[in-house]
Order: sequence, then structure tokens, then C-alpha cells
Amino acid sequence: MPTIKLDGRDIPFEKGDTIIRAAWRQGLEIPHYCWHPGLSVAANCRMCLVEIERPGGRQMMLDVLHWDEKRGDYVPSKKPKLEPACQIECMEGMNVKSESSAFVADARKHVQEYLLLNHPVDCAICDQAGECKLQDYWLKEQRAPKRMLDEIIHKPKGVSFGPTIVYDAERCIVCTRCVRFMEEIAKDPVLDKRERGNLGEIVLSPGRQLEGKYTMMVDQVCPVGALTTKDFRFKARVWFLRKVETVCPGCATGCNAWLDYDPRTGEVPRLRPRDNLAVNQFWMCDDGIMTHKRVQSARVATATVGRGKDRKQAAPSAAFKAAADLLRGAKGVGIVLSAQRSTEDNFTLAYFARTFLGVNDFHLAGLASWDGDAILRDTDRNPNTRGATAVAGGAVRPISELTEPVVSGQVPVVLALGGQVDLDDVTAGALGRAKLIVLSDCETPLTKMADVVLPIASWAEQDGSFVNRQGVEQPFVAGPKPVGDALPGWDSLVRLAKQAGHPLDWKRIKDVRKAMGGPVGRSSAQPATPDAAPAAE
Amino acid sequence: MPLPLEGPIQYDRVKGTKISKPARNVVQQAYVKDVAEGIAITLRHFFKNTKEMIRNERPDAVTDAIADGVTTLEYPFQKRPYPERFRGVHRLTLREDGSPRCVACFCCSTACPAQCIYIEAGEYPDGDRRRGYEKYPVKFVIDELRCIFCGFCVEACPCDAIRMDTGMHPQPYDSRDQFVFGKSLLMSFAGADGTQQSQNPRVEPGEKGFPGITRLAGHH
Repeated sequence: MPTIKLDGRDIPFEKGDTIIRAAWRQGLEIPHYCWHPGLSVAANCRMCLVEIERPGGRQMMLDVLHWDEKRGDYVPSKKPKLEPACQIECMEGMNVKSESSAFVADARKHVQEYLLLNHPVDCAICDQAGECKLQDYWLKEQRAPKRMLDEIIHKPKGVSFGPTIVYDAERCIVCTRCVRFMEEIAKDPVLDKRERGNLGEIVLSPGRQLEGKYTMMVDQVCPVGALTTKDFRFKARVWFLRKVETVCPGCATGCNAWLDYDPRTGEVPRLRPRDNLAVNQFWMCDDGIMTHKRVQSARVATATVGRGKDRKQAAPSAAFKAAADLLRGAKGVGIVLSAQRSTEDNFTLAYFARTFLGVNDFHLAGLASWDGDAILRDTDRNPNTRGATAVAGGAVRPISELTEPVVSGQVPVVLALGGQVDLDDVTAGALGRAKLIVLSDCETPLTKMADVVLPIASWAEQDGSFVNRQGVEQPFVAGPKPVGDALPGWDSLVRLAKQAGHPLDWKRIKDVRKAMGGPVGRSSAQPATPDAAPAAE
Repeated sequence: MPLPLEGPIQYDRVKGTKISKPARNVVQQAYVKDVAEGIAITLRHFFKNTKEMIRNERPDAVTDAIADGVTTLEYPFQKRPYPERFRGVHRLTLREDGSPRCVACFCCSTACPAQCIYIEAGEYPDGDRRRGYEKYPVKFVIDELRCIFCGFCVEACPCDAIRMDTGMHPQPYDSRDQFVFGKSLLMSFAGADGTQQSQNPRVEPGEKGFPGITRLAGHH
């Protein structure tokens, strides 16, 4: 593989790679604002200027006048012509100086000062504060006050761009990442830039709003606080948040995401895309980002026993006992796996059913499909259809096929793994006749008619994995603590099994994974990328 | 949020071992000796204080408080003189129009080592001259029991919006929740100089005198 030298280090590159991309592949960052690995090159921020010596010692030099302190006069001297690393293609034998060049350091300092010249410096009220590139590079490259004494140019602030996004023109550095995102990825060129220099700002197409299924990504690509989402606006300061790796539960694509949660309250104010070139690249859709709402809304926090009007909150021990009593006395048990729950949860239920209840056919519940698109969104709204199918031995039947055995009395008891679910009226009516045990993280049509509801953790609160539409097994990590009496789904099932007289010695998630005997899908390993959005640790 | 459902939850009872009370005899239980001893001490001080009062021998507690050694003050009738920068109960300073100067930036909450400041931020509505320039605290709550009066919040504030110059102690209350001071209470306190505003006035965006070049007025 051909290589270039960057600060004395050999960097391999593929044909057509720019310097910044070759460095990014190696996990090295050349400071930049406008360049984004998933977007076209604009080269307008001038932050990535580097010194380039081409093979054979050729280097573009400029004749400049240099102030000589001793002589008290300007003397003619030479200075390398700096070039944007985001635009220059790598060439075998190229020698690039980034961190090791004093000229580059000087250039970055002045580019920073220029970008901050008309900046309002309202970090105190800016949601980006704490993860802002302007702040990061000020500390790293500038560390000096601006020298302009004039009042800054004032531009519109707090402009609503649509149902999801607010724009602040004063903070904007007009890097056009948002413009390029809407044009190249979302395929809806609704944003554009007008004017130049310190008058530049991002504008909407006349008569349009920023709307569609990929609007909140413009907040994610914005390197400064110019574009913020109405959803996260003023909700939290990012340095209070802790992040864990998660997978979006919105559809079968399984976009990789960061789950930001407040460890003090357990609230999850947002989800951010996590780079995975094999799955979602750098992007997420609006509905995916908004799945963070599921952690707080309509949760089942305590166990309940009894259905309809008799539904009463109960201690976990009482609920487990009630559920175990139902299972023990049953002639036949219907098992409903959930395409919304992790592979581990589904495996535990399938194992429990096969080993102790002698049930070998499984039904699968989940959300009804929606409209997909060619960018990210899959028509299947369930994140783990493939994983749940795999642990059931490859053959599951839809939950609607449980209607007949329930109505005919073959299956008097149904044990269902909950999670979000859509039921048609016929199935719902039929299931209402059976004794229903539901383990669920949220209130669903199933929990409303259940005899026993056991609270389990949402996907954000427990370790687990989803197998996406490509068959890639993607693990996710527990963030906040489960609400109320909730337990991880597999743990709840292990306790239920114990209560029913079938002890399982699974104490941790790794015991479950060991029992599974290997991954269900392909490994999700992929190289880490340096451009993973920064966040409070 | 979990849905409100009927019925209290009967959680399993915690199992523990009972500890028997120590045995006491009748003489101890009657407390006659202890009560008599207590009255004796009170009487001794009563006669001593009365004698000193009649002879005018009592020391001046305030001057003695500044001197070395330990003296007793008849608080609250006598009070120690406080240093000028005494940190009392917090207050939220006001603008001239009576709104809080606080912009809900969470700097005080971040700096607070006791984590006693809770803020919920909100946005000025459409059409307000401060919209976009500022947010404001919808809720601003300080738990004065949890507060350790270190003054970091005052140091951290970029807007001079929180001060501890009221000169007030946290008052004794009947219950814990009364020590949790809300925004309106904090805004009602005045500083030691009697004003509710800050001594560092500033021109707010949209007010007369706010410096500004708009993109239309600028010469480019």
C-alpha cells in the first residue's frame, strides 16, 4: 500500500484519498470544521491547512517580509504555501507536516481568531458548549483573546427552521456541512448559504421549511452551536451526561448510536449517531434519534397482578409467584417472543420454554411495518426480528397464529415477552381469553389485558444485542439504572423459572451468552474512527 | 413515566434480629438524682449571673467575641460583627424590569460541590427581545440544607445573577422542605445594601444603548 509521511509517521492511503481522510483512517485528526468523512469536500473553513512537501523535495514557497527584531526592519524571507489537507490528494512519497510545523500552528491560530471574530461567545446559553469544536480548537490551537475592538456583526438568533431545528446565525461559521448533508444524504436541498465573509449565513429555500425524515442530523453535523434541535434545546448541559454505546431500536437497520444519559436522574435526553461504516455510516433518521423518548414514556415500573379493573400493583415476589402458579397449572403454554427485545432476552425465554415447559413452537410479536427508504430506514420497525427468529431455531410464527390454539383451548396460558407491540383486533380479542403473563418495559395492548405484568428494563437500561437486517449482531450497553422494580429481561425470566421450580444458574449477561454458545449474527467489529462525535465522558 | 395504578405495593418485609433493651434498676429509672443534679447546675449559674449583674461585673460579649478565648453571647440579642464578605443565604439579582438576571447556564450548578442547585431552563417566547440571546430559569431551586456555603456558585456565575450578600443565616424551619428555596423566594431577597439588583448593571440585548451593528447598518 502506498504511504505518505505525516509528521514523520507513515500513513497508508488508498487511491483517491485526501490527506485528511488518510489520517482519519489511522485515527489521527487534522483540525477541521467543514470536512466531514461522509460529505463532499468544501474546503471553506481553512482550519486544515498543512505544509506539504511533494516527492523530490518540491515545495511551494512564498516570498514574504519577515519582521526582524534585532535589525528593527522587515527582511525578505520565504514561507511555505499552506494547503488544505481536505482537498489535496495523497501522493506516494508526500511529506506532510501538521502538528510539527510552526507555520501550520500559526495559521490555525489565525484561522481560529478569524472564525471567532464575529462570534457572540454566548457559550453560557449555548447547548453545544462542552462539545463545540470552536471551544476545543480555541484551547488546543489559539489560547489568545481576539484583538478586534469593534462590535460584532449581529445576525438573527433563535430562528425556527422547521418543526425540529433552531438556527443561530451569529454562532454559525458557514462551513456548509448542513447544506451538503441535506443535498447529498437527505436528497432534499432545502438549505443554502447566502452572502460571504462575516455576513454569510445559512438560509432556507423560499417557502420551505426544514422538514422530512433526516432533519435532526443537521444538528449532529454542525460543528458549532448554530443548529440545535428543539428536542434537546436547553434540556441538559452535555458535561452532566454520560455516554454508552447503544443501537437504535427504531427499525431493523440497527443504526449505531451513543446513548447520552444523566446519571443523577436516569433521564436519557438524546441519542446521537455513532460511526459505523458497515451499517449506518455516520447518520441516523429523526425517528431513530427520537427513540430516546421510549426510556421515559409509558413505562411499566412496578409489577401488576390482575387484569382490567382488578389490576393492582404488586411486589415483584408476589408477581413472580402469581406467574409461576399460572405456568405450573397450565396444560399448554403459548410462547411469544419479541422482535423488540434483545437476542439474550429472547434466547432465555426460548430456552425456558424448550427445557422446562416443553414448548417448541414460538410466536413473534412486534410493531407493524412502516414506510422505509433507501437511505437508512427499513420497512421492518423491529430492531431484532432476525435475532429473535434465530434463537427460536429459525422458524417463528406471527402472533396472529396464536389466535386459533387460544380460542380452541389448547393454549390456556400465554407467556409473552413484551416491548412495543401492535396487535390486530382479532388477535387481541383471542389473547384476552387466555391467562396472559407479560414481561414488558412499557404499557402496550398486551400489558393492558395481562393477568401478570412483570416490569423489565428498556433496551437502554440493560446489556444485550440486536441482529440487524444485514445479519450483523450489534451489542449495546446499559446506560441508566432500570426504573422502579424493573430487571433486565433475561434476569426476570431466570427468576420466573426459579419460582416455577426450574433453577437456572445464570447470574450475568455473559452466562446467558455462554449458554447461547456463540454469536447469533455476524460480528459487528469495525475500525474505530476518530471523528466519532465528541461527548462528555 | 410509569402509569398511576391502583393499590399500594406490599413489598417483602426486611428480616432482622431483635436487640433487647439494657436492664435498668428502679433508682436509675426514677431519674431523681439526675434531675436534682441538673437543677443544681442551673441554680448555680442563676446565682452567679445575678451576682455579676448586680455588681455590674459582666463582660461585654461583642468586644470579647473579637478577642481571643471563648465567650458566650446572648444570641440573638447580641450578635457577632460579621466580615464584609460574609456568605449568607443566596439571592437572585434582578434586572430593572424585575426579571432574574440568571440565564440558566448551569455554571453554578456545575461548580457546586454539594450539588444543591437544581435548574430547569426555558426559552423566551417568540417576539421577546431576549429570544435567542438568552434562556431563563423556569425553575431555580437551592437546597439550603445541602448547601455548604462555599460561594463557588457566586464565583462561577458569568452574569452576576446569584449572590450571597444578603447577610442572612438560613432560618430555622419546622421541616426539611422549607429549606428548599425556589426561584420566587430567592428573587425576593435583597442584598445587604438593600437593593435587589446587582451593582454591575449591563445593557441587555434589545435595550437602548446595547452596542450593535446589524448586517444592514454595517459598512462592507
